Amino acid sequence: MKHVLLTAAAAATFATGAAAQEVTLGRFFGACEDAGTDTTTSVGEPCIIQSIINAADAELDGIDINTLPTDWGNYYDQIKAAFAGGTPPDVFVMHRHRIPEFAGIGALSEISDDLASVGIDSSDWSENALEAVSYEGGIYGVPMDFHANLWHVNMDLMDEAGLVDDNGAPILPSSPEELMDHARMVEEATGQDYLAADFAQFPIGVRLVLALMWQQDANIFTEEGTATINTEEAANAVTAITQLFEAGYANPQLNYADSQQAFLNGEAAVLVNGTWVVDFYDAQAADPDVALSNYYAADFPTLFDTGATWADSHMWAIPSTLEGETRDAALQVLAFINDHNIDWARTGHMAVRNSVVESAAYTSLPHRDEYSGTAAIARDTPPSERYGAIQDVLNRELQAIWLTDKPVEDALADAELEVQDLLDR
Amino acid sequence: MRDAKRGYLSQRQSAWLLLVPFLATYALFLVYPFFRGVWISLHDWNLLAVAFNPDAREFIGLRNYQRVMWGQNIQWGFAAPLLQGLGLIGLALAVFLRRMDRLSRFNAIALGVVSLLLVVLPGFHPGEGGRWYDRRFWPTVGNTLVFVGFTVPGVTIAALLLAAGLNRETRAMGILRTLFFLSQVLSVTVVTLIWQIMFSPRQGLIANITEVAGGTPINWLTDQQFAMAAIVIATIWWSLGIAMILFLAGLQDISKEIYEAAALDNARGARAFWFITLPNLRRTIMLVVVLQIILHFQVFGQSHLMTQGGPNDTTQVLVRYIYQTGFRDSELGRASAMAVFLFVIMGAFSVIQFVVGREKDQ
Repeated sequence: MKHVLLTAAAAATFATGAAAQEVTLGRFFGACEDAGTDTTTSVGEPCIIQSIINAADAELDGIDINTLPTDWGNYYDQIKAAFAGGTPPDVFVMHRHRIPEFAGIGALSEISDDLASVGIDSSDWSENALEAVSYEGGIYGVPMDFHANLWHVNMDLMDEAGLVDDNGAPILPSSPEELMDHARMVEEATGQDYLAADFAQFPIGVRLVLALMWQQDANIFTEEGTATINTEEAANAVTAITQLFEAGYANPQLNYADSQQAFLNGEAAVLVNGTWVVDFYDAQAADPDVALSNYYAADFPTLFDTGATWADSHMWAIPSTLEGETRDAALQVLAFINDHNIDWARTGHMAVRNSVVESAAYTSLPHRDEYSGTAAIARDTPPSERYGAIQDVLNRELQAIWLTDKPVEDALADAELEVQDLLDR
Repeated sequence: MRDAKRGYLSQRQSAWLLLVPFLATYALFLVYPFFRGVWISLHDWNLLAVAFNPDAREFIGLRNYQRVMWGQNIQWGFAAPLLQGLGLIGLALAVFLRRMDRLSRFNAIALGVVSLLLVVLPGFHPGEGGRWYDRRFWPTVGNTLVFVGFTVPGVTIAALLLAAGLNRETRAMGILRTLFFLSQVLSVTVVTLIWQIMFSPRQGLIANITEVAGGTPINWLTDQQFAMAAIVIATIWWSLGIAMILFLAGLQDISKEIYEAAALDNARGARAFWFITLPNLRRTIMLVVVLQIILHFQVFGQSHLMTQGGPNDTTQVLVRYIYQTGFRDSELGRASAMAVFLFVIMGAFSVIQFVVGREKDQ
């Protein structure tokens, strides 16, 4: 046995060869042990992305990919610390909203002229996707998806409340008043909450309020850098949600895991969460041990004038300090990820490549047709180097409203002051 | 005699030689980073920008300190009557008790200084149209003080009672001592994970017990009134061990004969604990308290991992704010200024410990 192992180890050393180029890779999405190299069957964000990485490691000749241990909550802190220490990962995932901060100081490598050499056809990217990875005229990354907030719906609860139309789709509210009516109907018919979301920790509540502000053509700050939070539109958006808490149709104290659990347990008719959980909830609904059995992924409804939902993009970038063979190898990894856009779309995210979006494999993904309107209403705040801190201010002040009964006007005034401070810094 | 010693190092030389490894490490990893931190705090220093362009920093003197700690139109007055009133009472007590000779000089000065700070510090407030430049800094300092204010007595009293209870030479007590110490060896990630599960309103142990008892489970980590308590409870559980061991060592130093003599005077059990154990443990208690204060001012992991500083910043603590400012916001200069402030606080307690440690037994 020992000999077999030794021989295998020796063979492996020979096979990889001394010339194998190591590429370090930084990502969030969470850990997946034993993801394997089959990119077509893995389930959930962590395992799908890791299976793509493992496949790249196995299939790309002469390239060894080393996935660095990172933690979701502190990901950008880790990346920044790595940059400051001079050892950034050779390939790393990031959000579109971080481009101003990283590209603005020259941390990202411009790859506009390298895409073709590794077989990435940027003309296949949708216009939005190209815009997502562009900064001052150059391309700084390879887009992987659009993700947005959806309304995940428990159709059994909706059915009991009489909120299902003839086509079998959920009837969602079209105004704050209707939202209350629907919530009351669900409560009366089932005794369960109408809506659940993480209002207590992760900024899902912020994204909800933002969407409702955008739906009134308002925003939290202007492109010129003036905070506009203490407004009637913001107050409308907030009270559309707080009315649910006050009437007991939603619980603001649930965090991400608890709100998700409430939805899966059949304790809430609607869960506001991102596209990233569609395949997971679909799998859960098929599990007889899970109370949720009839699942629907709906577009974020329009409660005001124009459709809008919070959205962002995941993309892959390489640091500007990378040179020579490592850079070539890193580009090949980007190309490999770009080639597997369809696999990543299985999570529930929207694909960025036109050829993928138009493919039958994509349109036939579970629930895909139920939220086909989301791409058209995707929005985000204006670009800012202080995105993270601004989200944090909003999260804090909104939590103050629904967790600590701070008057709406005070919270919005404080948020405006603090966001203005951040924009002025 | 002198000839025989030739070729050997003098005592002083060998002392230096043996100290060099420590001093070199100490200078490299503590003294140098400290002074560099102070230096960074005098700059407008963006973590990422300076990494790519060392000239991207700007010397701005003490402005970071001003931006963090001061504000526009800051005035002094009786803005916080409760705290300031408490401080005034403390001052009066310190003077009165010292006059009556009921308080040692050291204790009187300590009480006086604390009371004076209590009168002076909460008095600062922004006047008409004024504001703090950084609206989160002082509330964050306040949260840290609240955390320390609950955790230190909590740990000290719990550890003292446990130590007194477990100070017996039986096998069961030995096992219990080990058990209570075990939590101390866990890392903060494990501790917070355990307690997040304990506090979970859905599957947590505490929620299950409340439900069995007929109550509705508390959302410990997202309820404004309970979040800080939750962190304090987890921390007390975690850091009980060392304090308990220190107390056990102190207890074993107390001579049995004193207890025997006390027993003859009918002082047993609780009375013996109050009149014999406590006075004899005075220095150990002081040591534990000061060590705990210094330790818990640096709280980070519990708040960062269990509540993310929330809800509404009620569990935001100083080190987490420093971390966020430095890494999330990339403002290293500002973060360093806060770190220097934290150093001053902890330095003050270290000095107290040093002074008390040198004080002769009365």
